[in-house]
Amino acid sequence: MWLSLLFAALAQDDRELAERLKRREQNAMADLYDRYGRVAYALILRVVKDTGIAEDLTQETFLRVWNRMAGFDPERGALGPWVLTVARNRAIDYVRSSQGKMRENAYELDASDNPVLFTTMEPELLNSERARRLKEAFRRLSENERLVIELAYYEGLSQSEMAKQIQQPLGTVKTWCRTALMKLRDELGEAVPV
Amino acid sequence: MRCEELRGSFELYVLGLLDQPEKLEIDDHLGRSCPNCTAELQKARELNSMFFAQAPAAEPSPKLRRRVLASVGVEERRGFAWAPWAGLAAAAAFAMFLFVNLDQERGLRARERTRMNRMQQAIALLTEPETRQVAFGAGPQGRVLANPRRGVLFIANNLPPAGAGKTYELWIIPKGGAPRPAGLFQSEDGSAMHLVEGPIDLANTGAFAVSVEPEAGSQAPTTTPIIIAPLAD
Repeated sequence: MWLSLLFAALAQDDRELAERLKRREQNAMADLYDRYGRVAYALILRVVKDTGIAEDLTQETFLRVWNRMAGFDPERGALGPWVLTVARNRAIDYVRSSQGKMRENAYELDASDNPVLFTTMEPELLNSERARRLKEAFRRLSENERLVIELAYYEGLSQSEMAKQIQQPLGTVKTWCRTALMKLRDELGEAVPV
Repeated sequence: MRCEELRGSFELYVLGLLDQPEKLEIDDHLGRSCPNCTAELQKARELNSMFFAQAPAAEPSPKLRRRVLASVGVEERRGFAWAPWAGLAAAAAFAMFLFVNLDQERGLRARERTRMNRMQQAIALLTEPETRQVAFGAGPQGRVLANPRRGVLFIANNLPPAGAGKTYELWIIPKGGAPRPAGLFQSEDGSAMHLVEGPIDLANTGAFAVSVEPEAGSQAPTTTPIIIAPLAD
C-alpha cells in the first residue's frame, strides 16, 4: 500500500525533472525530495537504525545527487535507481566507518553510484511490474536465503563476513547467496524476455 | 570460468561485496569487454535498485525536507569569500558565531544555512589534532587538510573558472599507485572549497592533485594537474 502511494507521484516524467535539476532550478530539488525523499530515508534508516543519523545521511544523499547532476543524462537516465544507490552507499559507508572498518573497497563503493552507470534503465523501474514481482519473489525465498540477501543489501557484509557473523561455512553462504539471487533473477526474467 | 557460471554473483559484485575468486573472474571478463557480463552487470544494478526501494516504509520528520532544500538549494550558486589562510580558523569560527545568531532569527535564508553547514564541517576538520595540512602556491593558492577519520578538505584562492563544460576534479594519489578520483567542484568568485568525507589512509597517501576534467568527471586524470600537493612523511 505504502509503495503504491509513494510512487503515485512518479507518473510525472523523471526526465523533465532531471533536466530541471541540471538547469539548477531550485524548486526542482523540492520535487526530487518529494518524489524520492521518503524511500531514500526508509532505505537509509533500515541500514543505520537511527532516525537522526538517517536524516543526516538523507541530506548528504541529496547533496551528492545535486552536486553530481552534471554527469547524469536526462534522456537515458533513471533518476530513482541512482538516488537510491547513492542513499544505500552513504548508509553502508557510515556503518562501516562507525564500526572502525577502513573499507577496502571505499573507492569502488564511490564509483558504484556514478550517474553514468544509470543511463540505460527504464525510468519507471522502481514502480514497475518487475519491482512488484521481485518483492513477491523475495518473500518466497527460504529463511536462510532471505537472511544472506538482507545482510548483503542492508548490512553491507561480504560473503566471508556473513559466514563469520552467522557462523556458517563460507561455501554454504555462497550457495545461499547465489541461489537466492538466481531465483530473484529468474523472477525478473519472466517479465523481461532476454 | 564461463559467464553462465558467474550467474548469481553480479549483484554482489555491483555492491562491492563479492569475494574471490568470483570477483577476479568478473574483473577478468570485464577487462576483456565481455558483452554478456556487461549486460549482466546492468541487470544487477536494476535488481539492486528495485530491492533498495523495498526497505520497510518510514516517515522522516517534516524538518528534513527543509534541511535538504536549505543545504542543496544554493549549493552551486555561491561560494565562500575565504579569509586569508593565516586567519582561516579564526574567520571560520567568527562566521559560525554570526550564523548561529542569525539562525535564531525567523526566516534564515538557505544560503546562510548552507554556509553554516560547510563551516561546521570545515571547523571540525581544522580543529582536530590529527589533521595534517599541505600548502600549495604559485597561481592557485591554498591548502589541503586531511584527517584520517573525517576526510579531506581542499580550499583554494586565485583559482580561475574551470571553463564551459569543464570541472575541477580532486585526486588522491596513493604512494606508488594510480590517482583515485575524490570528487568534483567548481571555482566561484576565484575561490573553491571541496570536502571529501570518510576515512582516508594517510600513511599510504603520497599526494593530492587537482586537474581540469570534462563536467561529468573522469576516473583518471585526462589533463596535467594544475595543483599537486605532496603529503610529507
